[in-house]
Amino acid sequence: MSLQYLKEAVANNENEKLIRYVRLHLGDGNEAAGRKEIDKAWVEALKLLLDVPPTDREFILGTLNNQTPATLAHLYFHLHFYFVQRSGVWIHDGTL
Amino acid sequence: MTAPSDEIKQLRPELWETINERYPGSMITKTDFVPLARLSKLLSQTRLTFVSSAGIQPRGSMPFDVVHPVGDFSFRRVPSALSVSDLEIHQIKYPTTGALRDLNVIFPIERLQELAAEGLIGELTPNFFSFIGYQMDPEHFEQTLAEDIADAVVSDGAEAALLCPA
Repeated sequence: MSLQYLKEAVANNENEKLIRYVRLHLGDGNEAAGRKEIDKAWVEALKLLLDVPPTDREFILGTLNNQTPATLAHLYFHLHFYFVQRSGVWIHDGTL
Repeated sequence: MTAPSDEIKQLRPELWETINERYPGSMITKTDFVPLARLSKLLSQTRLTFVSSAGIQPRGSMPFDVVHPVGDFSFRRVPSALSVSDLEIHQIKYPTTGALRDLNVIFPIERLQELAAEGLIGELTPNFFSFIGYQMDPEHFEQTLAEDIADAVVSDGAEAALLCPA
């Protein structure tokens, strides 16, 4: 998928094409693997909150309020890989 | 020894087709090839640089952005006098198992140092150059990163460049 292909999908509101790309990106070219990777990241995040540990909501809200949407989107991708790595099950060939 | 040919071909077209099947439109075919320049003097009298898409970088430098969905259009200077213990890989799109055992298999910095010390290569540029190959915007890549690296290569006084895709 070229960037042009993705931009046209955005313009035409073809979210399925965008979702497929995200899965392919996160699954190193394997759409099913990418879907599992997304689930894995969310499960890992959920597990960390089940005991309701103290968290820094001021930091979270400050980040959400003070950073650009693009920075937050970039952070979102970083967080995905952070939780995937934290899960201990790493499907990628290389390292972050 | 085979005589050098001016004919330029698309390498491994079947690979392009396979990848395009999974990522439609991601692999491009260039039709406006820039002719390769011929060496005007012996390699033993030439200052050589090395350019790699392997995501190699000096330890402690800003890691390549391997999570970005479009790519990282920056490059790193890798001082050519460094040893592999000074380097690390940030890349998740190719198998790095072998490279982690010996970085020279993908970024032969110590082999090039040896060849320069033996006199087979005249000398090495002060820096080598590295980036990551996962890029979704070939046009942006060509207009920014490729141009930036070309400028840096020229600034380092390179007379020949060894290009190595990962």
